[in-house]
Amino acid sequence: MFDPVDDLIERIARHLRRPVQIDPALDARVMREITALPTPGGTAPLGKAWRWLRRPRQFTLTPLGGLAAVAAVAVVVLFSRMPSTPPAPGQIDSRAFQFILVAPRATHVSLVGDFNDWDATRTPMRRIGSDAPWTAVVPLVPGRYHYAFFVDGSRWLADPSAPVARDDDYGEPSSVLTVGGGS
Amino acid sequence: MGIHSVGTSDAALVRRVQTGDTGAYADLVGRYRDRLGRYALHMLGNREDAEEVLQDAFVRAYRSLARCDDPERFGAWLYGILVNRCRTAGARASRRARRFVHDPAALETAPQAGPDGRTEWDDTVRWALARLPPESREAFLLKHVEELEYEDMARLTGAGISALKMRVKRAREQLQTMLKEAERV
Repeated sequence: MFDPVDDLIERIARHLRRPVQIDPALDARVMREITALPTPGGTAPLGKAWRWLRRPRQFTLTPLGGLAAVAAVAVVVLFSRMPSTPPAPGQIDSRAFQFILVAPRATHVSLVGDFNDWDATRTPMRRIGSDAPWTAVVPLVPGRYHYAFFVDGSRWLADPSAPVARDDDYGEPSSVLTVGGGS
Repeated sequence: MGIHSVGTSDAALVRRVQTGDTGAYADLVGRYRDRLGRYALHMLGNREDAEEVLQDAFVRAYRSLARCDDPERFGAWLYGILVNRCRTAGARASRRARRFVHDPAALETAPQAGPDGRTEWDDTVRWALARLPPESREAFLLKHVEELEYEDMARLTGAGISALKMRVKRAREQLQTMLKEAERV
């Protein structure tokens, strides 16, 4: 059946779908900019390992499974130290999670999220060299956390490989980490 | 996702870039330039801003290419970067407008620029699109112009499917109202 509203919207959409020609010189401008940059992914010493590490974001922490997850991070991220102190009484269910951000040009990065009241002074991230990723280790109990990286005191950055916080419409970008509970 | 590639696959090009073949990135830029440029242009309503944002998105994507976990979906990943850059640029433009536009009424009644090949319908559509709230404009363009599924839109925008459906519905209603108004004038 003919619907005048659908017809009008379709006319608009068809009009907007027409090809748009962007200045072809844009290609040259992009290429000029990127030639000055390092090869993406080509210089990272742990390339694939970093990507593998950064992919999973859903953790289910049964006692053994949780230990395995933490151990895997510790084994691959040889440079980082896991917390050496035992968990405080009452925090026995918490596990250490390592957050990693590749931002070679940044001079200062903080991890902010629900777990530190979004306080940029509480979890500064560290790196071992100018080309190394920024890392921070945070003990977390099971739950759902929003988090983001606060770069150079002015820029919020969501984790590009983690789920975006869906209830974060037009606010600062943030990501979601779900730490599952286990028996 | 409504983003497709032909010839050498995106994944193959991405891998070549990652091994140091910068020229392969030119192929990716050429492949997506006009398609993404169309979205940026409709979203921002200004060619200069759109091209600036597009260039920025391509450079950011290159910098972050190591974090593109699924090179087969490079197009969708790049699209996500562009959508975010458009949001930032749109917010900035909105702040700029608030700062400098002192007499909106006078601007609204100001004479239009002379004929430059655009039709009256073209001007009307641009005018109506520009008056939509950014989140409605974004949802409308992704759904009706880029022809994405709601699931893909949710992945790109971070908004829930119900919220996106509502935004598209509102956009359709608002466009209908505005175009009817325009026809009466």
